[in-house]
Amino acid sequence: MQIGRTDNRNSPTRLLDPSVLSSLSNLELVAKAVVEGFVMGLHRSPKYGFSQEFVEYRPYAEGDDPRHIDWNVYSRTDKTFIKLFKGETNSHLMLLLDTSASMGFGATVSKLQYGKFLAASLAYLASRQHDAIGAMIFNSEVVQYRPATSKSGTLHGIIHTLDNADAIEGTAMHKPFTRFREHVKKRGLVAVISDFYCDPEALMENVRPLALHGQDVIMFHLMDPEELNPNIKESTLYEDMESGESIEVSPMFMKQDYPQKIKAHIAAIEKTAKGMNADHILLNTNEPLDRALHSYLTFREKRA
Amino acid sequence: MSLLSPLFLFALLGIALPIWLHRLQTNATEREKFSSIMFMEQSQQRVHIRRKLKYLLLMALRILFLILLVLAFTKPVFFVDPEAAVTEDMTHHVIVLDTSFSMREGDSFEQAIALAQGLADDMGADDIASLYTASGSVETISTATADPSIISGGLNNIEPDNGRLDIGAMVTALNSLITNSQANFIIHFISDYQQSGQAIRFADMVPDVINGRPVSLSIHQVKTEEVPNWSLTSVEITTADTIRIGLKNNSDAEQSAEKTVSLAINGLEQQNLTQTFAAPADGISYLTFENVVFEEGDNRLDVSVSPNDSLPEDDTRYTVFDNSPPAPVVLLSSDPESLAATYITTALETAPRGYQVELQNINDFDPRILQRYPWIVIDDIGAINDSLAQNLQSYVDGGGSILAAVGDRALGQTTIPVGGQTIGGGLTFSRNTIYNVQRVNTSHPVLNGSVGWNNLAISRVLPIEADDDSNILINLNGDIPFLLERNIGLGRFLLLNTSLNNTWSDLPVKPVFVSFIAEAARHLSNEELLVKEQAVNSFLPLGQNGGSSGQVYNPSGDSLLSLADTTQAQNIQLTETGYYRIVTLGRDILIAVNPDARESDLSLMDAQALQNWETMVAGSTGNIELIEGVAVSVAEEDPVAIEIWRVLLILLAVIVLTESLLGNRYLRFDTGNS
Repeated sequence: MQIGRTDNRNSPTRLLDPSVLSSLSNLELVAKAVVEGFVMGLHRSPKYGFSQEFVEYRPYAEGDDPRHIDWNVYSRTDKTFIKLFKGETNSHLMLLLDTSASMGFGATVSKLQYGKFLAASLAYLASRQHDAIGAMIFNSEVVQYRPATSKSGTLHGIIHTLDNADAIEGTAMHKPFTRFREHVKKRGLVAVISDFYCDPEALMENVRPLALHGQDVIMFHLMDPEELNPNIKESTLYEDMESGESIEVSPMFMKQDYPQKIKAHIAAIEKTAKGMNADHILLNTNEPLDRALHSYLTFREKRA
Repeated sequence: MSLLSPLFLFALLGIALPIWLHRLQTNATEREKFSSIMFMEQSQQRVHIRRKLKYLLLMALRILFLILLVLAFTKPVFFVDPEAAVTEDMTHHVIVLDTSFSMREGDSFEQAIALAQGLADDMGADDIASLYTASGSVETISTATADPSIISGGLNNIEPDNGRLDIGAMVTALNSLITNSQANFIIHFISDYQQSGQAIRFADMVPDVINGRPVSLSIHQVKTEEVPNWSLTSVEITTADTIRIGLKNNSDAEQSAEKTVSLAINGLEQQNLTQTFAAPADGISYLTFENVVFEEGDNRLDVSVSPNDSLPEDDTRYTVFDNSPPAPVVLLSSDPESLAATYITTALETAPRGYQVELQNINDFDPRILQRYPWIVIDDIGAINDSLAQNLQSYVDGGGSILAAVGDRALGQTTIPVGGQTIGGGLTFSRNTIYNVQRVNTSHPVLNGSVGWNNLAISRVLPIEADDDSNILINLNGDIPFLLERNIGLGRFLLLNTSLNNTWSDLPVKPVFVSFIAEAARHLSNEELLVKEQAVNSFLPLGQNGGSSGQVYNPSGDSLLSLADTTQAQNIQLTETGYYRIVTLGRDILIAVNPDARESDLSLMDAQALQNWETMVAGSTGNIELIEGVAVSVAEEDPVAIEIWRVLLILLAVIVLTESLLGNRYLRFDTGNS
């Protein structure tokens, strides 16, 4: 686990720096900049299947974009076939973005903003691979849900959905995830983007059914540097952004005990993820997005 | 409570400033939002609560400070009902009896005693009274008592004295004497109310408000009509055998009379020294007595007027005529034949007082006779040897004085013998160098009114360095002292930085030299202090002769000083009229003491002056009403205003101190603990 800011000022993926991205007001532009920059850095590796080289046909199935039907074949055979290109997996990607109040924390880039960047970038990346994309914005309830589809305009719709998300209310995964399971029938990839301020056991209870249902779950765990290594000089009264409760803590506690507790929590979340065969990616909100995208592609490749 | 300057209350809007500042502080530092506190633990020390309390306390102190500051500017006063201010229903009668010399006139004093007795008898059951006499000073005869018999007993022992009453000084003394009482005051002042006793400023005659109590003044005048009083205004010895005497009616009651003036010399009346003449009702009459024969030394001259008037005690005047031969003074000279000895001898012998110069060779001088002389002259201080220097040092320490000049024998020395001044740099001498006098301290008795120093031609001086112990009386250009004085022990050392033989400067041949020597002689012999005519209750400085006070005898012939005091006492108070006698080694001095001439002036305070006084007293403490020629005061019923700004200042100081301490504590870095 590597957490920390990386010096990428001379990197071709310089645009992945969240502090740079935060200056862009258009989320779609952010996603495009991130992915294009990221792809440039990959040197067109065939391993990740980004070429548009034709591989084979397969029969049209419900849910496929009709635009991908090869009408020439249909005219000859009266059967609908879909053209498959190298790199395409024809999978579904569901983006689950936590918009609880705690996600609003962050000095320069809030966790929610970072999560939006990440979700938009993933959506854009999946769109390039003709994957069906869906999204669910949730906090203690499902705020907005878009089923996974590869129809045209999906990407634009998802980015618009992400863009409108605000950090409010608390986190309670049970209700949103139950609803999510009710709506998702097809197997696919599920990317959960959250700060996971919850009980690991409760997380296990809510996410494990997805894994059992055949979903491949990747958990992007967002943390602000200040959450990992808080630095205060005198006793401070902290107010919980979700519950509004206050607590006074001493600098000695925040320096010695708190980092250990937060590390233990992260470890517990990671253990929970492993326990249900899910990937756990800890992301520091001051690090570029390329590691996240890289992890996603690795995960996708692994599950393809 | 009322505010004298209520407009300052607008400044209370300033309270918004600390409130706003504290609100800013609270908002800026009190709470911080955090994503989740699920992993945080409460600090054991509730620092923020304590800090919040500190903040509130600090803010409260600052607001209180501003409120008190504004209040102090608004001049709050409390009005207290005079009746309510009195803890007990009690009146303190302060009876002040004038015992000055003028009260000897006629039956004034008997009337005063009767008035005082009447006041004591009329005291209420709850009243108290105290008794004071006022003359040259205020004396306590009886402190506050409720027993009139104690006051009566005190009155029986009071006699008029020879002092002079100043009403302003009397009121000042009373203010300090009666501050401890807690009752209402009525000051009963029983006096003849001489015009000469009136203070220059009326404000000095107004008593203070005592302990916030109402003070009333009750004026009891023992006589309302003026009577003529003849007294001797002056006795002058114009020549060695002629006396001129002035006589005057010291009263506004104009009345001519036939008067006989007699002179008695040393207690012996002489037939040829009596004159009878018709004294005019107004103005001073002068009589001249010729062919008067005096004895050698101090002569007692008693001048009396007859027949006596209603104040006979001032019909005799005591005067001393000093018919002493010239006073001896030693001139120590290295060369008795020199010009220096001639110049100094001539100057001393022609001085108004007249001195008999005893010229002594400095090498043959027997220092044991030094004590015979109050002062000596040395024409060249450099000529004395170490042994003589030590003796002279002891002489000056004991009160003797020396007038010394430098000379050729002082050349090459590094310090001035006896005086101890340092000579630096070597001789400053040049044929073409002329020093000029730059500054003359004309406030010094030796140089008072003297002129001509700027015309001196000075070609040679010693580079004497000025020190802190020496008083530079004349400075030359280049900041060189020309005449300097140093007090050594009880004596004086006056040093002239030039020779007296007309070679270093032309001072000895200038007219200023004679007057300088005469004044220096008066100064060094302390004759200027010895005024042979004094008023009663004045102080006579002693120690004029070699540090010894001598024995002092009062007019009754009683010695006033113990044996120890004859060498230590510095002055005595002359309380009796007549002749005081001071006997010192080699001298017998008489001092004539007369009553203060202002006490002989029986003119009364006029009605306007009395009315002005009444108005001022009424304005500050109470009302005075004149009843049949006697002023009686009535206590003022208006509320008494008590200002509290002093209390506010003390509170402000306490708050500033507390705020500083609290603010300092608040600024400490507090880490708390886990």
